[in-house]
Amino acid sequence: MKKHLSRTAVYLILCVYSFVTFLPLLIVVSSSFRNPHNLTSPLKLFSEFTLESYITAFTKMNFLGELFNSVLTTAGSVVIVVLIATMAAYPVSRIKKKTSRFLYYFFIAGLVIPSQMVIVPIAQVFGALNIPNTRFTPMIMFITCSLPFSTFLYVGFLKGVPVSLEEAAFMEGASLWRRYRTVVFPLIKPATVSTVITQGLWIWNDYFFPMVFISKREQYSLPVGMLQFLGDKENPAQWNVLFASCVLCALPLVLVFIVLQKQFINGIAAGAVKG
Amino acid sequence: MKKKLLATLLAATTLVAATTGCGSNTGDTSKTGGTSSDEDITITMMVSGVASENDFETEQLPELIHEKFPNVTLEVTKLPDDQYYTALKTKLASGECPDIILVQPKYAGSNSVIELAKAGYLMDLSDLSCLEKTGDAANEAFSYDGKVYGIAQGVSILGTYYNKNVFEENGLSVPTTWDEFLNCCEVLKNAGIQPIVMGDKDAYVMQFGLYQIAANEIYPNDATYDDKLRTGETKFTDEGTWDKVLEMYGELYEKGYVIDSSLGLGAAQGIQMFVDGEAAMTFDGSFNAAALCEEGAVSFERGYFPLPATNGDTYASMAPGAGPAVYAETKYPDQVKEILEYWFDGESPVYQAYADTGRFIVTYGYGADKNDPLFDSFLDLYNEGKAWYWCNQAWPAGTENEMEALFGSMIGGQGTTVDDITSGMQTMLESLLEE
Amino acid sequence: MKKSKVREKSLVMPTRMYWFAVPALILFVVFWVYPVFQMFYYSITNFNGVNYDYDFVGVRNFQSIVKDGSLVNGIKNTFIYTIIIVVISNVVGLALALLLNLKLKGKSIFRTLVYLPALFSPIVVGFIWSYVYMPGSGMLSSIIELFGMDGTKLNLLGDFGKALYAITAVDIWKNVGTTMIIYLAGLQTIDDSLLEAGKIDGCNEWKLITKVKLPLISATITINVVLNVIAGLKAFDYSFIMTNGGPGKSTQTLMYIIFNTAFNKQMMGKASALSVVSFIIIIAITILMLRFMNKREVEF
Repeated sequence: MKKHLSRTAVYLILCVYSFVTFLPLLIVVSSSFRNPHNLTSPLKLFSEFTLESYITAFTKMNFLGELFNSVLTTAGSVVIVVLIATMAAYPVSRIKKKTSRFLYYFFIAGLVIPSQMVIVPIAQVFGALNIPNTRFTPMIMFITCSLPFSTFLYVGFLKGVPVSLEEAAFMEGASLWRRYRTVVFPLIKPATVSTVITQGLWIWNDYFFPMVFISKREQYSLPVGMLQFLGDKENPAQWNVLFASCVLCALPLVLVFIVLQKQFINGIAAGAVKG
Repeated sequence: MKKKLLATLLAATTLVAATTGCGSNTGDTSKTGGTSSDEDITITMMVSGVASENDFETEQLPELIHEKFPNVTLEVTKLPDDQYYTALKTKLASGECPDIILVQPKYAGSNSVIELAKAGYLMDLSDLSCLEKTGDAANEAFSYDGKVYGIAQGVSILGTYYNKNVFEENGLSVPTTWDEFLNCCEVLKNAGIQPIVMGDKDAYVMQFGLYQIAANEIYPNDATYDDKLRTGETKFTDEGTWDKVLEMYGELYEKGYVIDSSLGLGAAQGIQMFVDGEAAMTFDGSFNAAALCEEGAVSFERGYFPLPATNGDTYASMAPGAGPAVYAETKYPDQVKEILEYWFDGESPVYQAYADTGRFIVTYGYGADKNDPLFDSFLDLYNEGKAWYWCNQAWPAGTENEMEALFGSMIGGQGTTVDDITSGMQTMLESLLEE
Repeated sequence: MKKSKVREKSLVMPTRMYWFAVPALILFVVFWVYPVFQMFYYSITNFNGVNYDYDFVGVRNFQSIVKDGSLVNGIKNTFIYTIIIVVISNVVGLALALLLNLKLKGKSIFRTLVYLPALFSPIVVGFIWSYVYMPGSGMLSSIIELFGMDGTKLNLLGDFGKALYAITAVDIWKNVGTTMIIYLAGLQTIDDSLLEAGKIDGCNEWKLITKVKLPLISATITINVVLNVIAGLKAFDYSFIMTNGGPGKSTQTLMYIIFNTAFNKQMMGKASALSVVSFIIIIAITILMLRFMNKREVEF
């Protein structure tokens, strides 16, 4: 009986909490189903139902094209981050020397600097190296900015992985690279899942680097496309369309989250706990 | 090899012919079209703003330019203000700046024509013939060191939008003096109607009211007030200047004419409350006319008047609108000039489309006679020379931010006085000028 | 832990392994470390972000950020923001994780709902919440009016004393899901047998949490606290989107002041000086914290 009661209490707490969390999002959903010109208060929930804002958002953002760019740059960046961050973490976690300690804190120091702070000097480096603005240019910064956290995570994780397997491979005469590829890399897969998820999320949502390093509209990713609906001093925002575009932009993520929820949590479990 | 050389030469000569031809003979569109160069080129352009339906810059302009110059592809990107400033700065730093960028008159904002020209980023446009049409005042606002670096896009107005129906119901007419204006507010307030709504959470809207007052209280008395600020001859703390302006604007808050909760309302929410008929007036710019005229919870007729912030003659607060400038390092200086020449010639299809957007109050050529009637009273003042530019155009960027923050503290009841604001503005000005 | 073994077998882990770090280091140094040093250099100039014809001004920028009070104001607001985020996000996130780790029907729905806000861009989140907080007819005002209170008096974002807390709440709303998920992950690694043993020893649920679960997930706590501290110290989005640092200067965080100084006031030099100071503060806090929290786990 007591157990039954407490269970009800748990459900009650969860329901109330989820409801309160979800309430503000109702504004998004309800407004996105309005006509783009309906400027009455968004708090009058579900006062009309039309897909016009979605259609506007879909066509004006060139949704499929931008989705393609987003998927391409996000996936590309994440793959490279995983590759070079694991490579960097490998010696740092395995060799017990001052150098490793230095590298560890060196990367962590990068974690604490927001990109807005250094964007102008970064752009100067791009100019000095003559890096042209293409679809792939923002990836350089996506990867660079993801390195500190990923390395931090991998080092922590690798320290918890026993070296016995590597020793066995060493006895069999495997080269360093082979050991990394066939023994270490598969072992740290759980940390990789959490890297993919945490870094993939910010890269997917980031508009800053694409905005700065892309000059052609056909190369835009979804978040930059969304910017065009955002208002400024002399232009009111088109909120209904913005909301619709935001739902469109988040939808792929929601779907991925629902499908991969289990791996997601297990992945972070493995990655974070040992970090 | 020889063939290629010849082709290049040919292209070059036709190019020269086309540019000169276009400059003197803008009306004739049939001959010059498509002959300026054989090569297909892409010209990039970046502007600030928000794309509307059938947007002029991002949709119509590239299409019309392509019709006129078939070998030219115009690639336009549009970003909201804050993002635009950041993007522009970084693109300048990386050397990947678009060929055409949007600049603001004088010192206004992070993309001010003077700062950019001083740093050598802009191309001298003084020899464009369309500048004869834009007018001296506009060209002056886009000049640095005697050369013109940008083209004004019409004029922009700051004024007072009002609900005509509410005014009529309460027996009010458009005020022509400050006392009448205060009386209007009082009558409305007594009738249980909120006189003014402002979305002060977005602090820039404070400029909408303050600059209208300054246009009446400061510049008519001293046209060179702002110039003298730079030399130190005048100061924000001078008696009877900004203290008076802030005092007058503060009075509207103190007496409850401006909605109490303004600091918690965003600009969009302020507009929306006006549209929904929850307040009788709001200070805003001509650039927001479309949003302010959208259908809201109640329908009513809108009017627009210059704030009579004096008991003498009223002056309007109007400024040349931000306009295009050319990046100094552009690969296609001639083609870009050609495009601008065509765009601003006063009659081309591009100019017509530009005028038809209704976003710009055009001062010459096609459409100059059919601006929105809302703006009539302003344009009359403008033509009489009774209009002053927006204050921040003459100040180093950042001064207005300090003014907004401190004014916010005052109306938020933080014990900030008018003198605190003027001395804060003066300190900020001095430290900015020192740079 | 296993370090004794590693030290003996230097053949297995030779120094040339460091070559593996080279690709990451090149990217990191060229596109991150070098620009950061460049920024340090700007802090002693009057660079305005546009014109490269600038002068040295020595420590003037540093003096001016102290004198005009922006540094102190920024640090104060940032610290308040950070402390609130760290405490509330972790307490709420942990509580939710404990509940959602029970065997419940439909827990994946709840997990998704709690995590959902994390998927939305800060721009949209900021806008939605300005309607939640809108005085008079906003969501919160309407709700308290249901309880018979005066909603028009509720002006959180316009109130000098409350605006900072109001935007902090938004940040928590958005990010508590992520914290919760990380805790959930930590809780799932706890071996069931340990919990059974605890129960046999007569622990009640509360004791089980404090004596068994929490110590076992101490590493997860470290991660979450570090992540939240860094997020708090880097706070920028909601000051920028929702309040523009206002009313007055009451919600200006360090990062907001830096951005505003660099991009609105065109004082890149002064902004860099602020960046240098913030960088030193953040890095000092992070390293101190990592050392303190890592002490109990792995020596590094």
